[in-house]
Amino acid sequence: MTGIFLTACVCGVASGLFGIGGGVLLVPLLVLLFAFGQHRAQGTSLIALIPPTGLLAFLAYAKAGYVSWKTGLLLIPGVFAGGILGGWLAKKLNPKRMRQVFAGLMFALGLWQAVAAWRR
Amino acid sequence: MTTLIVLVLGLGVGVLVGLLGIGGGVVLVPAMVYLLQMDQHLAQGTSLFILLPPVGLGALRQYWKQGQVDLRAGILCALGILIGGYLGGLFAVLMTSRQLKGFFGCFLMLAAALLWRKPPVQGESAGSLGEEQANV
Repeated sequence: MTGIFLTACVCGVASGLFGIGGGVLLVPLLVLLFAFGQHRAQGTSLIALIPPTGLLAFLAYAKAGYVSWKTGLLLIPGVFAGGILGGWLAKKLNPKRMRQVFAGLMFALGLWQAVAAWRR
Repeated sequence: MTTLIVLVLGLGVGVLVGLLGIGGGVVLVPAMVYLLQMDQHLAQGTSLFILLPPVGLGALRQYWKQGQVDLRAGILCALGILIGGYLGGLFAVLMTSRQLKGFFGCFLMLAAALLWRKPPVQGESAGSLGEEQANV
Protein backbone atom coordinates (compact mmCIF):
# COMPACT_ATOMS: atom_id res chain seq x y z
CA MET A 1 0.00 0.00 0.00
CA THR A 2 2.94 2.36 0.66
CA GLY A 3 4.08 1.57 -2.86
CA ILE A 4 0.72 2.63 -4.24
CA PHE A 5 0.91 5.89 -2.30
CA LEU A 6 4.41 6.69 -3.57
CA THR A 7 3.39 5.85 -7.11
CA ALA A 8 0.44 8.21 -6.75
CA CYS A 9 2.81 10.97 -5.57
CA VAL A 10 4.78 10.59 -8.80
CA CYS A 11 1.54 10.74 -10.78
CA GLY A 12 0.69 13.86 -8.81
CA VAL A 13 3.88 15.61 -9.86
CA ALA A 14 2.98 14.87 -13.48
CA SER A 15 -0.53 16.10 -12.76
CA GLY A 16 0.65 19.48 -11.53
CA LEU A 17 3.40 19.81 -14.07
CA PHE A 18 1.22 19.06 -17.08
CA GLY A 19 -2.21 20.15 -15.93
CA ILE A 20 -3.74 16.72 -16.20
CA GLY A 21 -5.63 14.41 -13.86
CA GLY A 22 -2.81 11.91 -13.54
CA GLY A 23 -4.99 8.94 -14.39
CA VAL A 24 -3.19 8.42 -17.66
CA LEU A 25 -0.10 7.48 -15.68
CA LEU A 26 -1.88 5.90 -12.72
CA VAL A 27 -3.83 3.35 -14.78
CA PRO A 28 -0.85 1.72 -16.52
CA LEU A 29 1.24 1.83 -13.35
CA LEU A 30 -1.45 0.10 -11.29
CA VAL A 31 -1.61 -2.59 -13.95
CA LEU A 32 2.14 -3.01 -14.46
CA LEU A 33 3.42 -2.60 -10.90
CA PHE A 34 0.55 -3.82 -8.75
CA ALA A 35 -1.07 -6.46 -10.97
CA PHE A 36 -4.45 -4.76 -11.15
CA GLY A 37 -6.81 -5.93 -13.88
CA GLN A 38 -7.33 -3.31 -16.58
CA HIS A 39 -10.93 -2.51 -15.65
CA ARG A 40 -10.14 -2.48 -11.93
CA ALA A 41 -7.24 -0.09 -12.48
CA GLN A 42 -9.52 2.23 -14.46
CA GLY A 43 -12.27 2.15 -11.86
CA THR A 44 -9.76 2.84 -9.10
CA SER A 45 -8.23 5.70 -11.06
CA LEU A 46 -11.68 7.23 -11.51
CA ILE A 47 -12.41 7.13 -7.80
CA ALA A 48 -9.03 8.70 -7.06
CA LEU A 49 -10.05 11.59 -9.34
CA ILE A 50 -13.39 12.28 -7.63
CA PRO A 51 -11.99 14.56 -4.90
CA PRO A 52 -10.42 17.73 -6.31
CA THR A 53 -6.92 16.24 -6.30
CA GLY A 54 -5.58 18.94 -8.60
CA LEU A 55 -6.65 21.73 -6.26
CA LEU A 56 -3.20 22.69 -4.99
CA ALA A 57 -1.74 22.61 -8.49
CA PHE A 58 -4.72 24.56 -9.79
CA LEU A 59 -4.15 27.32 -7.24
CA ALA A 60 -0.57 27.71 -8.43
CA TYR A 61 -1.81 28.22 -12.01
CA ALA A 62 -4.69 30.48 -10.99
CA LYS A 63 -2.37 32.74 -9.01
CA ALA A 64 -0.22 33.17 -12.12
CA GLY A 65 -3.32 33.94 -14.21
CA TYR A 66 -3.20 30.77 -16.28
CA VAL A 67 -6.90 29.82 -16.26
CA SER A 68 -9.52 30.41 -18.95
CA TRP A 69 -12.68 30.29 -16.86
CA LYS A 70 -15.17 30.51 -19.72
CA THR A 71 -13.68 27.65 -21.73
CA GLY A 72 -13.45 25.58 -18.58
CA LEU A 73 -17.08 26.06 -17.64
CA LEU A 74 -18.20 25.19 -21.17
CA LEU A 75 -16.17 21.97 -21.17
CA ILE A 76 -17.36 20.56 -17.85
CA PRO A 77 -20.89 19.40 -18.85
CA GLY A 78 -19.59 17.69 -21.97
CA VAL A 79 -16.87 15.83 -20.14
CA PHE A 80 -19.36 14.66 -17.53
CA ALA A 81 -21.93 13.42 -20.06
CA GLY A 82 -19.30 11.85 -22.25
CA GLY A 83 -17.90 10.06 -19.21
CA ILE A 84 -21.15 8.18 -18.68
CA LEU A 85 -21.20 7.12 -22.31
CA GLY A 86 -17.56 6.04 -22.19
CA GLY A 87 -18.02 4.07 -18.97
CA TRP A 88 -20.87 2.19 -20.61
CA LEU A 89 -18.84 1.60 -23.76
CA ALA A 90 -15.89 0.28 -21.74
CA LYS A 91 -17.99 -2.71 -20.75
CA LYS A 92 -18.75 -3.54 -24.38
CA LEU A 93 -15.35 -3.08 -25.98
CA ASN A 94 -12.19 -5.13 -26.00
CA PRO A 95 -10.03 -3.17 -23.56
CA LYS A 96 -6.74 -4.10 -25.16
CA ARG A 97 -7.72 -2.76 -28.54
CA MET A 98 -9.14 0.47 -27.14
CA ARG A 99 -6.00 1.06 -25.09
CA GLN A 100 -3.75 0.60 -28.08
CA VAL A 101 -5.75 2.89 -30.31
CA PHE A 102 -5.60 5.54 -27.61
CA ALA A 103 -1.89 4.99 -26.96
CA GLY A 104 -1.18 5.43 -30.67
CA LEU A 105 -3.13 8.66 -30.74
CA MET A 106 -1.33 9.96 -27.66
CA PHE A 107 2.07 9.11 -29.02
CA ALA A 108 1.35 11.02 -32.22
CA LEU A 109 0.09 14.03 -30.26
CA GLY A 110 3.16 13.96 -28.03
CA LEU A 111 5.55 13.76 -30.94
CA TRP A 112 3.78 16.66 -32.63
CA GLN A 113 4.04 18.81 -29.51
CA ALA A 114 7.67 17.98 -28.85
CA VAL A 115 8.66 18.74 -32.44
CA ALA A 116 6.64 21.97 -32.49
CA ALA A 117 8.33 23.17 -29.31
CA TRP A 118 11.74 22.21 -30.63
CA ARG A 119 11.47 24.01 -33.94
CA ARG A 120 10.11 27.34 -32.87
CA MET B 1 -18.86 28.69 -33.40
CA THR B 2 -16.04 28.40 -30.92
CA THR B 3 -18.63 27.67 -28.24
CA LEU B 4 -19.90 24.74 -30.28
CA ILE B 5 -16.39 23.37 -30.78
CA VAL B 6 -15.75 23.61 -27.06
CA LEU B 7 -18.99 21.78 -26.19
CA VAL B 8 -18.32 18.96 -28.67
CA LEU B 9 -14.72 18.73 -27.51
CA GLY B 10 -15.91 18.28 -23.94
CA LEU B 11 -18.19 15.44 -24.97
CA GLY B 12 -15.45 13.69 -26.91
CA VAL B 13 -13.01 13.96 -24.04
CA GLY B 14 -15.67 12.68 -21.67
CA VAL B 15 -16.06 9.48 -23.68
CA LEU B 16 -12.33 8.86 -23.25
CA VAL B 17 -12.64 9.57 -19.53
CA GLY B 18 -15.14 6.78 -19.11
CA LEU B 19 -13.51 4.45 -21.58
CA LEU B 20 -10.02 4.65 -20.13
CA GLY B 21 -10.57 5.68 -16.53
CA ILE B 22 -8.47 8.81 -16.83
CA GLY B 23 -9.10 12.44 -15.99
CA GLY B 24 -9.09 13.62 -19.57
CA GLY B 25 -6.55 16.40 -19.12
CA VAL B 26 -4.03 14.57 -21.24
CA VAL B 27 -6.31 15.00 -24.27
CA LEU B 28 -7.78 18.34 -23.24
CA VAL B 29 -4.47 20.14 -23.01
CA PRO B 30 -3.24 19.47 -26.58
CA ALA B 31 -6.79 19.97 -27.89
CA MET B 32 -6.96 23.43 -26.31
CA VAL B 33 -3.48 24.31 -27.54
CA TYR B 34 -4.21 23.34 -31.14
CA LEU B 35 -7.97 23.75 -31.63
CA LEU B 36 -8.41 26.85 -29.50
CA GLN B 37 -4.89 28.25 -29.96
CA MET B 38 -4.32 28.59 -26.26
CA ASP B 39 -0.97 29.14 -24.63
CA GLN B 40 0.49 25.99 -23.01
CA HIS B 41 0.26 27.34 -19.46
CA LEU B 42 -3.28 28.61 -19.99
CA ALA B 43 -4.40 25.25 -21.39
CA GLN B 44 -2.90 23.38 -18.43
CA GLY B 45 -4.43 25.71 -15.84
CA THR B 46 -7.82 25.46 -17.54
CA SER B 47 -7.53 21.68 -17.65
CA LEU B 48 -6.88 21.58 -13.91
CA PHE B 49 -9.90 23.83 -13.41
CA ILE B 50 -12.13 21.40 -15.33
CA LEU B 51 -10.92 18.53 -13.19
CA LEU B 52 -11.92 20.21 -9.90
CA PRO B 53 -15.56 19.04 -9.96
CA PRO B 54 -16.02 15.25 -10.09
CA VAL B 55 -16.44 15.01 -13.87
CA GLY B 56 -15.74 11.27 -13.78
CA LEU B 57 -18.57 10.50 -11.38
CA GLY B 58 -20.95 9.20 -14.05
CA ALA B 59 -18.25 6.99 -15.48
CA LEU B 60 -17.27 5.76 -12.02
CA ARG B 61 -20.82 4.53 -11.40
CA GLN B 62 -20.48 2.14 -14.33
CA TYR B 63 -17.31 0.64 -12.87
CA TRP B 64 -18.71 0.59 -9.36
CA LYS B 65 -21.71 -1.49 -10.46
CA GLN B 66 -19.30 -4.10 -11.79
CA GLY B 67 -17.26 -4.12 -8.59
CA GLN B 68 -14.21 -2.86 -10.43
CA VAL B 69 -13.10 -0.30 -7.86
CA ASP B 70 -10.47 -0.62 -5.14
CA LEU B 71 -11.63 2.01 -2.70
CA ARG B 72 -8.65 1.89 -0.34
CA ALA B 73 -6.09 2.17 -3.12
CA GLY B 74 -8.20 4.93 -4.68
CA ILE B 75 -8.14 7.05 -1.54
CA LEU B 76 -4.37 6.60 -1.19
CA CYS B 77 -3.88 7.62 -4.81
CA ALA B 78 -6.03 10.71 -4.36
CA LEU B 79 -3.86 11.77 -1.45
CA GLY B 80 -0.64 11.15 -3.35
CA ILE B 81 -1.84 13.06 -6.39
CA LEU B 82 -2.89 16.01 -4.23
CA ILE B 83 0.56 16.30 -2.66
CA GLY B 84 2.54 15.61 -5.81
CA GLY B 85 0.32 17.99 -7.75
CA TYR B 86 1.37 20.86 -5.52
CA LEU B 87 5.04 20.31 -6.36
CA GLY B 88 4.39 19.88 -10.06
CA GLY B 89 2.32 23.05 -10.20
CA LEU B 90 5.13 25.05 -8.61
CA PHE B 91 7.64 23.79 -11.19
CA ALA B 92 5.34 24.38 -14.16
CA VAL B 93 4.73 28.02 -13.37
CA LEU B 94 8.48 28.64 -13.33
CA MET B 95 9.07 27.22 -16.85
CA THR B 96 8.60 29.06 -20.12
CA SER B 97 5.65 27.99 -22.25
CA ARG B 98 7.97 26.57 -24.87
CA GLN B 99 9.89 24.40 -22.40
CA LEU B 100 6.64 23.21 -20.91
CA LYS B 101 5.25 22.34 -24.33
CA GLY B 102 8.30 20.25 -25.12
CA PHE B 103 8.16 18.44 -21.80
CA PHE B 104 4.47 17.80 -22.25
CA GLY B 105 5.12 16.23 -25.64
CA CYS B 106 7.77 13.91 -24.22
CA PHE B 107 5.49 13.02 -21.34
CA LEU B 108 2.69 12.09 -23.75
CA MET B 109 5.00 9.76 -25.64
CA LEU B 110 6.15 8.09 -22.42
CA ALA B 111 2.58 7.69 -21.18
CA ALA B 112 1.60 6.24 -24.56
CA ALA B 113 4.39 3.68 -24.33
CA LEU B 114 3.28 2.66 -20.82
CA LEU B 115 -0.32 2.37 -21.92
CA TRP B 116 0.61 0.26 -24.92
CA ARG B 117 2.58 -2.31 -22.96
CA LYS B 118 0.87 -5.57 -22.32
CA PRO B 119 -0.04 -6.17 -18.69
CA PRO B 120 1.91 -9.12 -17.23
CA VAL B 121 -0.85 -11.64 -16.46
CA GLN B 122 -4.41 -12.62 -17.11
CA GLY B 123 -7.14 -12.34 -19.66
CA GLU B 124 -8.48 -8.85 -19.87
CA SER B 125 -11.41 -9.50 -22.14
CA ALA B 126 -14.65 -7.84 -21.21
CA GLY B 127 -15.95 -11.24 -20.22
CA SER B 128 -13.62 -11.55 -17.24
CA LEU B 129 -15.14 -8.49 -15.61
CA GLY B 130 -16.75 -10.33 -12.76
CA GLU B 131 -13.64 -12.14 -11.65
CA GLU B 132 -11.88 -10.98 -8.56
CA GLN B 133 -8.31 -9.86 -8.95
CA ALA B 134 -5.61 -10.60 -6.45
CA ASN B 135 -4.21 -7.29 -5.41
CA VAL B 136 -2.29 -5.71 -2.62
